[in-house]
Amino acid sequence: MQLTYVEAIRLALEEEMRRDPAVFLLGEDIGVYGGAFKATAGLVDAFGPVRVMDAPLAESALVGAAIGAAYTGMRPVVEFQFMDFIACAFNQVVNFAAKSHYRWGAPVPIVLRGPAGGGVHGGPFHSQNPEMHFVHTPGLKVVEPATAVDAKGLLKSAIRDNNPVIFLEHKFLYRRVKEDVPEGEHLEPLGKARVARPGRDLSVITYGAMVPLALEAADRLAGEGLELEVLDLRTLLPLDLEGILASARRTSKVLVLHEDTRTGGLAGEITALLQEHAYDDLDGPILRLTAADTPVPFSPPLEEAFLPSAARLAESVKQLARY
Amino acid sequence: MSTSSEPVISDRVAESPEKLRTLLRRMMTIREFEHLGEREFRNGLIRGYYHSYAGQEAVGVGFIEAMDLTRDYIVDHYRDHGHCLAVGLDAVNIYAELFGRRAGVSKGKGGSMHMYNQEKHFLGGDGIVGGGISVATGVGLALKRMGKGGLCVCFFGDGALDTGTFHESLNMASLWDVPIVYICINNQFSMGTRLDRHSSLTQLVDRAAGYGMATEQIDGQDIGVTLAAAERIFAGVRERQRPVFIEALTYRYQGHGIHDKPHNYRTPEEEDPWIHRDPLLILGQRLIEEKIMTGEQIEAMRQEVAAELEAKVEAAKQSPAPEDRELYEDVTL
Repeated sequence: MQLTYVEAIRLALEEEMRRDPAVFLLGEDIGVYGGAFKATAGLVDAFGPVRVMDAPLAESALVGAAIGAAYTGMRPVVEFQFMDFIACAFNQVVNFAAKSHYRWGAPVPIVLRGPAGGGVHGGPFHSQNPEMHFVHTPGLKVVEPATAVDAKGLLKSAIRDNNPVIFLEHKFLYRRVKEDVPEGEHLEPLGKARVARPGRDLSVITYGAMVPLALEAADRLAGEGLELEVLDLRTLLPLDLEGILASARRTSKVLVLHEDTRTGGLAGEITALLQEHAYDDLDGPILRLTAADTPVPFSPPLEEAFLPSAARLAESVKQLARY
Repeated sequence: MSTSSEPVISDRVAESPEKLRTLLRRMMTIREFEHLGEREFRNGLIRGYYHSYAGQEAVGVGFIEAMDLTRDYIVDHYRDHGHCLAVGLDAVNIYAELFGRRAGVSKGKGGSMHMYNQEKHFLGGDGIVGGGISVATGVGLALKRMGKGGLCVCFFGDGALDTGTFHESLNMASLWDVPIVYICINNQFSMGTRLDRHSSLTQLVDRAAGYGMATEQIDGQDIGVTLAAAERIFAGVRERQRPVFIEALTYRYQGHGIHDKPHNYRTPEEEDPWIHRDPLLILGQRLIEEKIMTGEQIEAMRQEVAAELEAKVEAAKQSPAPEDRELYEDVTL
């Protein structure tokens, strides 16, 4: 079935709601409006307003209410109109959801999902990549699919997981990615990276909207005799250390690419892991290509300068290949 | 300003002598538990922070007594020792948690402010003021969906009304007809800041009424009042499936925490009328007046409770500390 990324999200929600009556959706404008990006279009007609609940604009209490419902046996999925707004719910996410099992032994099976990322000129509060706030919070899982197949398969796994999952959907990909998506029971495991393209010369480790960018660069560089391996992390917490090390050992050169800003970004963590576990396997420095350490600017040319580009990636890759 | 010691008497429950004795014993247990806990804190056995429930016993014991914990749930705030005892958790496990031992109700990982027990439907114990109010609202929402007539009771202090999630949550609860009872334990202070210095309205019921829900201000010192109010209000919430906000007027005998010396911000003269309306004293006098117990019998009961708790402290001390490997357990499942 040919589906866009956002249609795959919608299908995962629908299938999981049919499978398990404990699953319900909570969010602003997710009912008749169908969600800010139409990820829940039509679901209120199929399941009714009790299972597709329109909520007041109150992210903190929304996440809190989801946690409470999860304590009592439900499996709520909360939609954020933009993932930037999860900042309003920070306390509920990092204190209550993340630490309930550790401090009490109480599982919190909730999914907090919504669109993240830039490239669509959303400006400073509608383009951010908030993953590292949560990657730095033990007790959470953080997931970001890059393909429609993974959008569906990972979301289904996230809904079935007994831990709180931050599920970041990249809004740039919502309607730009369209591919054949398996119907029905197709799950993708959390915590496992995926080799998006095998290659012998150099590994580009990345996730989200940077995966298609890396694949584009890999196509271009293949014409110049350079074979890139593109590793799509898919889950950012817990990281697939085995997958990362296996790729680094195959190519012995690693560039980490992400759309998030540079300082404190995931590239720093992956670099440290490679130093600790694969120092002897590397034939060059670990490079990183990331967004700039600035807020996301609105002005389209400025945003273009802010984001990593295929051209800059090709340049960095060539630099690394020379080692 | 509603810091007056004048009670707002609504009604008072007529209970059997046996029930009244049980309620006195339960309140005494909480009072004595906190005395011993504070002692062990000063002895260095309890580390970190300690918030005593002494003085507020009639609120928790009254409301929890009226709950049906086979279907109802509690979402608690950080001053949680008394409520743990009121739901029937063993003082050994509560002390063990305070000592950071493996036998603690949260395996020693939560501490004073993070007690929890799923079997008793006791959903903590939370160390962030106001944080549990939205969680409780979600519990109430789920209970409504289960359709078994269960309700959620959410305890918090007067300081919690100043948080954003209080207002977000009450709006949701009223909008969604959630069967929940929000119980504001108004002990007159948000830590060391007096009610009229932290709240724009000092009649706290007025802050909840704006969300279109029933509200009630009650005397939190007299367990006859709190229990009667709880029974009546819970029956109404089950029937109407609507939230209710209660403001229970009470007083915190100790400072906010054990390190806090409250006479920086309040006077002994101010404390006096509250201490004269002590919840244990009020019920004790009633038992004497109704010739259910004598003063000597009450004192004997207190000594018996204190001796039992001494044994619980000793038993908790026997629990081993968690092993280092337990550090990594339970982060996720």
